[in-house]
This record gives sequence, structure tokens and C-alpha cells, in this order.
Amino acid sequence: MIKCVVWDIDNTLLTGVYLESGADLPAADPQLLGVLRELSGRGILSALASRNPPAAAAYVEQVTGAAFAAVECGWGSKADAISRIASELSLASDAMAFVDDDMVERAEVTAALPEVLVLTPEEAAEAPDWPQFSPAVITAEGRRRSQLYAERRRRQAAAAEFAGSRDDFLRHVGTRITIAPAAAADLPRLHELSVRTHQLNSAGEPVTQADLARTLASPEHAVITVRLADDFGDDGLVGAAISTGHGGSGGPAVPVSSQVLVVIAPLIMMSCRALGRGALDALLAWLCRAAAADGAAELRVPCLVTDRNVPMRLALAAAGLRAEAGSVAPDGRAIFARPLAGELPALPDWAIVE
Amino acid sequence: MTTDQAGAVADEVRAMLAQVTGRAEMLDVSLETRLFGAGVGLDSLAGTLLLRQVQRRFGVDVAGEDLNLDSLETLGTLANFIAARI
Repeated sequence: MIKCVVWDIDNTLLTGVYLESGADLPAADPQLLGVLRELSGRGILSALASRNPPAAAAYVEQVTGAAFAAVECGWGSKADAISRIASELSLASDAMAFVDDDMVERAEVTAALPEVLVLTPEEAAEAPDWPQFSPAVITAEGRRRSQLYAERRRRQAAAAEFAGSRDDFLRHVGTRITIAPAAAADLPRLHELSVRTHQLNSAGEPVTQADLARTLASPEHAVITVRLADDFGDDGLVGAAISTGHGGSGGPAVPVSSQVLVVIAPLIMMSCRALGRGALDALLAWLCRAAAADGAAELRVPCLVTDRNVPMRLALAAAGLRAEAGSVAPDGRAIFARPLAGELPALPDWAIVE
Repeated sequence: MTTDQAGAVADEVRAMLAQVTGRAEMLDVSLETRLFGAGVGLDSLAGTLLLRQVQRRFGVDVAGEDLNLDSLETLGTLANFIAARI
């Protein structure tokens, strides 16, 4: 499935060559612009890779009204530009397509990155009919995905200029993290998150919408959602945790012995868009505090240990969860746990619990 | 491993911390400074970038070797962990 299309500018998205047009700049190609908008509506990102100066990308954003998730302008190779875009967006190269009218550029990308789907503008015009460009599930967050990445570019530029700690920056840009029980309307997005998240996913396997619906209806489980917004934009539902044994929406904590009650969170997941914005730390802090409030003595998170979800393990470690050395089971999982006595991780003051 | 070696590693890690957090004051943090929470305030994003740089520079796969990432407790523990493996 293609998740991002990288577009050339000259004679591709524009009907001419930007630098050779003088004051009379070329218009957007109406057919490809239609394709770009159609794919964007399906949650497929757009990016620019061009040998033009950055002003050309700004011009393309202006005439197309499109939100580009990443922009690479410069004289380096297009294959390098595509690799940087894939890395910036945390996508594998087989999730990338590249559209360029120039045969030499297409050949260079095909040779260097054989997994990338390389298209002529004529082929791209038909792309919306191809299965690689037709995701089965399209959510509200998905339809806004290009917009969200464009907001992220502006946020990152502001963060780079900001002097001060990460928390100061998050406060400065009006970060709002809302933690609330899941509703039935959240199920498609929760399923999508379970499929799309890897870096910040403890379980490492997709959960079907039917299974999520059963979990939501089960009195033994709590499904908690995290929404994220700031002054740059609203990212919507970015993460969730499933846990057993919370008061309120969940059942009683699991008794391990007559004295010790344990809350287990079999799934914690978060969109990589939320990386660096405190949302996962807030969710883990909330889990610890909710479990402690229910009288549990320990929080346990079974977590797949792979090189892909190192960011999840970092967040678990930062929240004080530890696994026993050498305790990785044959299925690749280890149980990360922390006692709930004493000082618990703090919820940031911009987190709202509903 | 010598103390000098760990000290040299710590200096390089300070430079990496300054880069991944965007804060120049990281160049002066002490070996006892905690990396998580108060102190450096390393989160999953900055932590991941730091571990990638450590792997690229020193060839040490911290996340692969340290299940609990206890080596990230302080600047000193991380520098010692790396210095013991190069």
C-alpha cells in the first residue's frame, strides 16, 4: 500500500519549468492536481522533491492549495531526497511512490531504490484506480493526514527556533492532551492505529475492529483514548491503551494474591506524529495514577521487544517500568512492570482527563 | 576501559544530547545528571535519536543489549556502558 507520493515540480505538478518562466509562472497541472487531491482524501501523503530553489515549493503550495508532508529542494539526487522524506515520515521505501516526467530521474530512483513505485505523470493520472492507492479504511484522521504533516513541519520549524526545554515549548504552543474513555465511534480509528503504529506500539500486532468492539463492551477492560492538539492544529485521536482492572469503565483489578492487585495493559499504542509531544508520557502517567487510585500495587505492560519499537521501551523506562533481566519470552515479549507505591510519574498540567 | 575513555565518550554524548534536544546547555551537564525526567528530560523521540547516533558513532546497540535501558539512567552510566563495549 502506498502511503506517500513524492512529486516532481517542473513539467509534472506544474505545466512548465518554474525557473524558465520569468514573471509568468506556470499553472498547476489540473489533472495531476485532481489526482493529488483524490489521494489526499484517501489519507495518502504528498511530498515534493525538486531541483528547484525552495521558493518553487512555496509557489506550488500556493497554486495547488495542497499540504505537503515533506519538501526536499536542492541539487542532490532524487533517490536521496526520497530516502530523507521516507525517514522524516517514518515510512518504508515500499510505501513510497515517485512521479517525475524526466526519464533520467525515474531511472536513477528505480536503480537506487527498487522498492519505490516509480511513475510517469501519465501513469500517475490513473493511479487512483490502482489497488496500491486504495486503502480499505479511511478515517477522519486519515483524510487530514497531509494537512497534519504540514502542520508538523511548521511546528518543527518553531521548535528549532525555540530556546528552552521541551516542556516549555509544549506549553508555549498551547499543547492539549485529552485522555478519555473510548466510544464506539472511535473503533475505526483505533483499528487503524493498531495497524499503522510500530515505533510506539507495545503489542506489535494489529487488532481487528471486531476484537476492539468486544474489548470495549467487556466489563473487565478499559479502553482509554488520547487526543492531541496545539496552536498549530488538531491531530485528533493519536493513541490509546487497553487495560484490565480500572474503576469506572473497567472491572476490578486482577488479584495476584490476597494482598496484591495488578493492573495489566496488554496494548499501548501511539501515532508517531505524537512523538516528542508528551502524549505517551501523559498516557503512561495516567495509567499509573488510575491503577494506584484503584488500589493496585503494580502496573504491568507486556511489550514486544524489537528494534522497531525502541521508542515505546524508552517511554516505559522513563515512566519507571522495568522487566526482569533475561525475561524475554519465546514470543518476543517481556513484562515491564512498576510498583505503584511512592512517587508516580506526573501528568503534565496541559493534560485534560475526562 | 579507562576513566579517560569513558570521559571522552561522555563528551561526545554531551554533544549528541545538545543536538537531539536542541539545547546548548547539555554540553555542560555533569556525569550524575539524570537523562529521564528532571535533568535532561529525554523523551522517546530524543532518546531514539540519541541511541541512533550512539550506534552510528560507536557501533554500540544500546537498545539491543539493554532490555530495560537502565544504561540511560545518567550521562555517566551511558558513557560507561558505551566505553565498556568499544
